[in-house]
Amino acid sequence: MDTLLLARLQFATTTSIHFLFVVVTLGLVTLLVGMQTAWVLTGNPAWERLTRYWGQLYVINYVLGIATGIVMEFQFGLNWSGLSRYVGNVFGAPLAIETLVAFFLESTFLGMWIFGWHRLRKGVHLALLWGVALTAYASAFWIMVANSWLQHPVGYEVRDGIAHLTDFGALLTNPSLGMAFGHVVSAALLVGGMLMAAVSAWHLIRRTPDHALFRTSLRIGLVTAALAITLVQGFGFAQFGPVAEVQPTKFGQGPEAQALITEWTARFGPGDYTPPVLASVGLGFMILIGFTLGCVWLLLPLLFRDWIIRLRFPLWLVLLALPLPFVAVILGWIAREVGRQPWVAYGLLPTDQAVSPVGAPVMLASLIGFSLLLGTLAVTNWVLLARHAARGAGDPPLGRPPAPPNEPAHPEPALA
Amino acid sequence: MDLAWYALLGLFFGAYLVLAGYDYGVGLLLARGGGPAGRRAALTALGPFFLGNEVWLVAAVGILFGAFPVLEGELLSGCYPAVAGALAGVVLVTAGVQLRSRHTDERIRARWDRVVVVGSVLAALGWGVLLAALLQGVPREADGHVVGVSHLATPFAAAAGLAMVALIAVHGATFLTLRLPAADAAVVGRSARRLVPVALTAVALATVVGLLSTRVRDAVQQPAVAVLLPVLLAAALLVARAALARGRPGWALVATGAALALPVALVGAAVWPYVLVSTTDPGASLTVADAAASAPTLRLLGWVALPLLPALLGFQAMCWWVFRGRTDGRAPVYW
Repeated sequence: MDTLLLARLQFATTTSIHFLFVVVTLGLVTLLVGMQTAWVLTGNPAWERLTRYWGQLYVINYVLGIATGIVMEFQFGLNWSGLSRYVGNVFGAPLAIETLVAFFLESTFLGMWIFGWHRLRKGVHLALLWGVALTAYASAFWIMVANSWLQHPVGYEVRDGIAHLTDFGALLTNPSLGMAFGHVVSAALLVGGMLMAAVSAWHLIRRTPDHALFRTSLRIGLVTAALAITLVQGFGFAQFGPVAEVQPTKFGQGPEAQALITEWTARFGPGDYTPPVLASVGLGFMILIGFTLGCVWLLLPLLFRDWIIRLRFPLWLVLLALPLPFVAVILGWIAREVGRQPWVAYGLLPTDQAVSPVGAPVMLASLIGFSLLLGTLAVTNWVLLARHAARGAGDPPLGRPPAPPNEPAHPEPALA
Repeated sequence: MDLAWYALLGLFFGAYLVLAGYDYGVGLLLARGGGPAGRRAALTALGPFFLGNEVWLVAAVGILFGAFPVLEGELLSGCYPAVAGALAGVVLVTAGVQLRSRHTDERIRARWDRVVVVGSVLAALGWGVLLAALLQGVPREADGHVVGVSHLATPFAAAAGLAMVALIAVHGATFLTLRLPAADAAVVGRSARRLVPVALTAVALATVVGLLSTRVRDAVQQPAVAVLLPVLLAAALLVARAALARGRPGWALVATGAALALPVALVGAAVWPYVLVSTTDPGASLTVADAAASAPTLRLLGWVALPLLPALLGFQAMCWWVFRGRTDGRAPVYW
């Protein structure tokens, strides 16, 4: 096994696990903002219970988003030191901005939000959640700026073999950025909506207590998912034009792709410049799932007079469809990232020149170690999510009022 | 410009060690017994600050990548085992602290707490070894790459790693002395005082091993600064002990915090103007200026960071202010 393959496998593993959690984070936080805002505006305690229940699941999910995110950030230096050496002047900037503008504040706000129930004024507490959501979107934006630069390097010039930043604005108007950002954000909303609908469907099928609460979240989830899937499809198909223009080799073998390959062969020497078949396979299946999920629209009329709950089988459909959006987001990343091979920065830096000069044994140990670690944590996290989702909205620990001062404080607050 | 960004990098990494240092210190002290209630109380004391502390690392690495891309690649891949170990530790602590209370079974919680202990030790060891690597130099060749990873395996790196573990233990105990309810604080305060001599011994050991190491003597560019490091560390630890003895845990925490920030500042200053000193080829040493990103990138990041820093510090300060004081029965419990 060579170092390059091991490093790529490790990046694919970490990114995939990371993405499964961050799409849920981004989707759920948007819905949470809606729920808590409704609670603060109307004072209706039902919204508070919804916020606490879904907030609890959000916070559990967030843990793995951070854990995998930290590993990803370090991996650029650990495994891909060529990336920082040759293109770090340009590619590093959006990543640095992401950590400072977005992630730093997101986590600071979230810590205060989790512990701020019953301690901060309602308006301040709500503002913190808005802060979490806005910085989460900012985070997604800057990461997409960085990723789009790798897809289509712009705003730089090469001096002494190293890329230097010349026009930061070009990174923001990158043709591979706009539609892709819309696509990813609506995919996150789709995942959030589907997750909310599916968990609610499970409770409604099982006829657990809190019928009214889960009826509300089923409706919110389905409407969100329906709107989001249309946006996902729209932004997705809108990408074909710009992507085919800036990355002719991604989706096939037209004359432009041939011309580009001839040019690369002249500049970088002979080699295999067509991306692996995996990319197109991923794309095909993702589009298939996208059309299937479009059927969510057919369920919306059933919200009328709760036919969706009375008929029961639509609830089963929603529940069984839950894995689909997750599979689709992974396939989407495969299409985007594998489709860029053999380049780490398209047409600028070949992947094999970006890998760190560390020995294969070190890389293998790192791959096995971190894959086991993050894989185990991911499974544990999903089990916990499923358990807390099944437990219902009785009294989630998140936002539980503190013990009254005259009673002895329970030193071991039972976490239901 | 380079120097300002180098200082900022030091500020963020130093702040990370100071703030997350007590996360790991508290994590380490979960091993000292005290039963489920004691561990619960320690994590509640940590509670609201935990997420805000860990992000300093992410921001530090963001600055490292944005402003010092060459250093990022060489330092992280050149010190692979130390960085990977620290990273695994950080991941274990992050997951352990946040997930342990999501289980109702006390035995599973105890198992998670052991994960947190292991993670805390790994993180401290890893960062200690990384700082030692900067001080003892790395085998950087003329092609700009650091060769192999065996250069980390020195007695000095081991001693520095152990010293870091001891320092975070003192720091964590001091934090708990400040935060826990007064009755529990007295107990943990005594532990903190007892840990100070242990930390002093560990620092002394690292100092002796460092002075004996030719690699450290050759790599250090500013000997006066390097000698100052153990002296100031010992002084900070003694101040912490005195403050603890006088019942001033706030000042003790400032002192133990200084003990964690000092190594970052002084290691950076001791090898100045270099950041990576080559042990094999003096011409291949990497200066701070060469490690920095080119001027347009630094300018851009400067315009972003300048208005942002007050906001970042302000929101962190808001968190400290809102959750100041000792925990009591009404303290929010979540982790």
